Amino acid sequence: MTSLLFMLLLIPLAAGGLLLLFAGASQARSARWIAAVGSIAVLAMSLALAGQYRQLPQSSGAVGVASPVQPKVEFRKPWLTMAGEEGQRMTLEFHFGLDGVSVAMIVLTALLTVACVLISWEAIRERESEFYAALLILETGLIGVFCAFDAVLFYVFFELTLIPLFFLIAIWGGPQRRYAAVKFFLYTLAGSLVTLLGLVTLVGSAAASGLASPCSLPELAAWYRDNPLPQAWQIGVFLALSAGFLIKVPVFPFHTWLPLAHVEAPTAGSVLLAGVLLKLGTYGFLRLCLPMLPMACLAVGLPMAAILGVVGIVYGSLCALVQRDVKKLVAYSSVAHLGFCMLGLFALNSEGITGGVLQMINHGLSTGALFLIVGMFYDRYHTRMVDDLGGLANRLPLMAAAMVFVSMASVGLPGLNGFPGEMLSLAGMFRRNSFYAAAGALGLVLGAWYLLTMLQSVFFGPLKEPALGGESAAHHSVGDLSLRELGALAPIAIAILLIGVRPQPLVDMIRPDVEAVARLYEGRRAYTEIAVADRSLATEQQP
Amino acid sequence: MSPQTQQLVLWLIPGAPLVAAIVIALFGPRVLRQRSHWPCWLALAASTVCAVILLADVVPATFGEHGAAASVVAAGYPWLDIGQMQVRIDLRADAMSALMLSMVTSVSFLVSIFSAGYMHGDRGYARFFAAFSLFVFSMASLVLSGNYLQLFIFWELVGLCSYLLIGFWFQRPSAAAAAKKAFVVNRIGDMGFILGIFLIWTTFGSLDFSSVLFDPDRLRQAGAAEPGRITIICFLLLLGAMGKSAQVPLHVWLPDAMEGPTPVSALIHAATMVTAGVYLVARSTPLFALSPDAQMFVSGIGATTALLAALIALTQMDLKRVLAYSTVSQLAYMFMALGVGAAGVELATDGATAGMFHLFTHGFFKALLFLAAGSVMHSMGDVIDMRRFGGLRKALPVTHWTFLCGAAALAGVPLLSGFWSKDEILAVLHEAGEHERVGGFFTAIYWVATATAFLTAFYTFRAYFMTFWGAERFPPEAGHHPHDAPPAMAWPLRILAVAALGVGAAASAGHWFATYMAHTPAMAHEGEHVFHLDLMVVSGLVAFAGIALAWLMYVGRPGLAASISRRASFLYDLSFKKFFLDELFLSILVLPLWAAAKLCYLIDLYIIDRLVDVVGSVPRLLSRAPRLLHTGLVSNYVLMMWVGLLACLGYVLGMMG
Repeated sequence: MTSLLFMLLLIPLAAGGLLLLFAGASQARSARWIAAVGSIAVLAMSLALAGQYRQLPQSSGAVGVASPVQPKVEFRKPWLTMAGEEGQRMTLEFHFGLDGVSVAMIVLTALLTVACVLISWEAIRERESEFYAALLILETGLIGVFCAFDAVLFYVFFELTLIPLFFLIAIWGGPQRRYAAVKFFLYTLAGSLVTLLGLVTLVGSAAASGLASPCSLPELAAWYRDNPLPQAWQIGVFLALSAGFLIKVPVFPFHTWLPLAHVEAPTAGSVLLAGVLLKLGTYGFLRLCLPMLPMACLAVGLPMAAILGVVGIVYGSLCALVQRDVKKLVAYSSVAHLGFCMLGLFALNSEGITGGVLQMINHGLSTGALFLIVGMFYDRYHTRMVDDLGGLANRLPLMAAAMVFVSMASVGLPGLNGFPGEMLSLAGMFRRNSFYAAAGALGLVLGAWYLLTMLQSVFFGPLKEPALGGESAAHHSVGDLSLRELGALAPIAIAILLIGVRPQPLVDMIRPDVEAVARLYEGRRAYTEIAVADRSLATEQQP
Repeated sequence: MSPQTQQLVLWLIPGAPLVAAIVIALFGPRVLRQRSHWPCWLALAASTVCAVILLADVVPATFGEHGAAASVVAAGYPWLDIGQMQVRIDLRADAMSALMLSMVTSVSFLVSIFSAGYMHGDRGYARFFAAFSLFVFSMASLVLSGNYLQLFIFWELVGLCSYLLIGFWFQRPSAAAAAKKAFVVNRIGDMGFILGIFLIWTTFGSLDFSSVLFDPDRLRQAGAAEPGRITIICFLLLLGAMGKSAQVPLHVWLPDAMEGPTPVSALIHAATMVTAGVYLVARSTPLFALSPDAQMFVSGIGATTALLAALIALTQMDLKRVLAYSTVSQLAYMFMALGVGAAGVELATDGATAGMFHLFTHGFFKALLFLAAGSVMHSMGDVIDMRRFGGLRKALPVTHWTFLCGAAALAGVPLLSGFWSKDEILAVLHEAGEHERVGGFFTAIYWVATATAFLTAFYTFRAYFMTFWGAERFPPEAGHHPHDAPPAMAWPLRILAVAALGVGAAASAGHWFATYMAHTPAMAHEGEHVFHLDLMVVSGLVAFAGIALAWLMYVGRPGLAASISRRASFLYDLSFKKFFLDELFLSILVLPLWAAAKLCYLIDLYIIDRLVDVVGSVPRLLSRAPRLLHTGLVSNYVLMMWVGLLACLGYVLGMMG
């Protein structure tokens, strides 16, 4: 499996490098074929990886021995050993690994990258080699983050993702692309630097008290489980780590770079930005804060994430409601959806964390698909404004059906993927603190409101199309979804339906990881007590 | 019957329509086209047969002595299992679900046949039948749910089908708006429902009906330990029920939902989906029985809604809207009955039985009325405003007779369906009125119910007389020769008319319905059946009085209605404008939220984002001073260099000296 993993990291990188060699060459049209082959190969391998991962024997580590962060498959090779004072040594490693969460996120990344290549097929006409190279290098970076189990390696990949996305926005973006790219880059980078400070403190203080390989996340987590930092320290480190993650997620009020970046980014950039890149923030919380700083998570993280999450849900939904640009609407909806994700993760119990992780995956699928469809009608009409469009279902019935389907997933309709994640996030938070959950549930109403309003005005009603630069016959060429576009959407739609109808396999895959983290919080403060019946009674009575 | 066959029967009820939905969705637009109704018909016929087998054979096989009853379960798969959240998708049937399913499937089947005639030639013919089949699948699965979360899943799915079918003619802006309104208003209720589910989960540690509802010891324990919590659960569940079953103030979506094709109104927005809220509360009777406060509230909401909707229905000119408000009012009737447990736990079961009985009969005669209205629309060229046609009884004989049957049943003409079930409700309300503490409350409810019955008889026959009596008038849209319903539409009408006339008497004879219902787990009751002859006489008289008044005003002395509405113009406007509830919603909820949304976005643009830019500009400001030195003039740099050199030199010399 490790060889598969390395292939996953190397193939997009190699394909990207190959494309850069071609840069500027005259037969640049072949670039997209190279990108397509590369990304499809990665998808196939990631699916193989997931298949193999599911074959692995269920969690072998006995309870209490394994670390709260425990990859099932590991590859470790030291690459730099530094001698510190007093004979201490510190080792940096190529420490790659896989657990259920990382496998799920890798498959999501691979799936969305294929869709990105397909959606850019016709839309990107300039400097194609460079474009696809940036896309594939971005994929490498994202996959790298999800399988890095060494603190330094994690941080390197975390930051590496910024560079290709910066170019994607700054070169192939809309009219304000420079401003958007710089803002996105500097804002998230500034946050990440504070995160680095927190990470160094976390690693350094373990190293100082004698942990041999403090950069290894599993060992670090096990260390801090047995030798927790004092609460004040935990809170300090937590806040430092959060700085980057909160901006990345983004959590209200650190979200303003997001709508701008989305509006300016090319469709492929938006899909990967919303679909995967934002999850690096929540992934960081899950990997670093939750397992290593339990006291801080309870004392500071829970109220902070819950309040900001609830505010984000309501505020993001309201902002989405008044947008006239559909892409911006989807961008604000991300703020709301990731609010649910934060609520789930910081419920700090297995239901909530599972919900949070599902929400990470589901938001990637449904928002990715929303951006794809927005890109598709933008390619046709060169506008995304609600006021210019109407009744598109008359001309583009298949696209309208796809949009209704994806919107329903995004609204959290049971039977589609959004529901298990949202429901579990809220249920978990309800057990932790029912007030926050009740406030978060407002998002169910508001979410339906803004998305259905958009559907109503863009896809329903009498047909209204913008004039296309005076060419009278232009609209005859506007056709429904092409085979290529269907190919981009269909896999996502299938995943949306499968996860909705049968979420359990996915839940089973991430269960050991989630439970390892949730175990740290068992018995710590305020669960809403299960009042009358304990579980034993409940199981007895089942036929 | 072997267990395998039983399982098959259970699975076929929702399974067949699901297969039909998939087949039609895949092959409808390209292959089946105008034959898309066939998979739907076949599947619904299979469902109906299975539902009848379930009702007649499978469920009775589980009946024990004195109402002790188990349920039939067809195991499905574990949907979600993490932490303490365990949810399975299973099919579970008992007496209550079997009764409801038999109505749901048979009405669906008849409406699907009607639809083939009604929707003939429509561009979205395949889409219609796909959504229709999906609806029946969802509705059947809802009724067959064995736990609250599965119920919620299908509760939302029927909402989706309702959305798709209300907005079926999406080209019409009003249809698109109505679809959205229905979904969003329902979501308000659903928010309460899901929170109620969470609270059940944290209170009972389970979501299964078998451990939450059917375990009396545990329920008693829970009720004793935390009565307040049970009350909150009931209120939250009720919020969900109020959304789905269109109770005030969440009823505003249902009249607008009439934008959908008429068969949809008949099936989803009259006979089946909107009764899901009633079903939820009836199903949760053991929980509600623990909370008299919640039960009083159920009856109170029911009474308010029943009266309000009946008053609005008095003046509406759109035939379908009259029927829509009548649906709201009749659902409220069921809610009135569901709350009588506040006057004693033993009454809770009677109330639920009466409510479910009315749900059962109402499904038939209201579907009939809507389909007949659809038949009117069909021949009038889609005109539904009653001021624009009249005297149709000659031109549309089948429609006329069947509508009359439905109207008489709804009005509560003695011995017809509506009469029996309405009488049951009035009887339990009357009985609750004898309770010493809350008797006054329920006596008031009883009189509201009687008044509503009078109004119901009046507005139903107002619609009937305005449509079918008086001088014969056709709108221009109808063409020269309006024709009556074609066979595909006429036969469902005739069959439903027979049901509207007889199903109440059949189910009421020997108290069959209540006896059957009593086999529902946790719904056993020993109360003997009493014929309340006095109540029956009163309600019969009330019905005839209403009909007579309608005849007087719209046939006997045609000018009377107009002159009354002129004299009492304020009251007339109040009713005609639906008590301004839509406007109220708009001004206290929608517009402020829009304003808040605009404000949020402005804050986002001009405060939060500005702050980010300000922070971002700090380094630039700090760099301003050092920037002054970097002028770009070589001579300046040379000067600097000299100054620096001299300073160094001076320092060195100073050190040496």
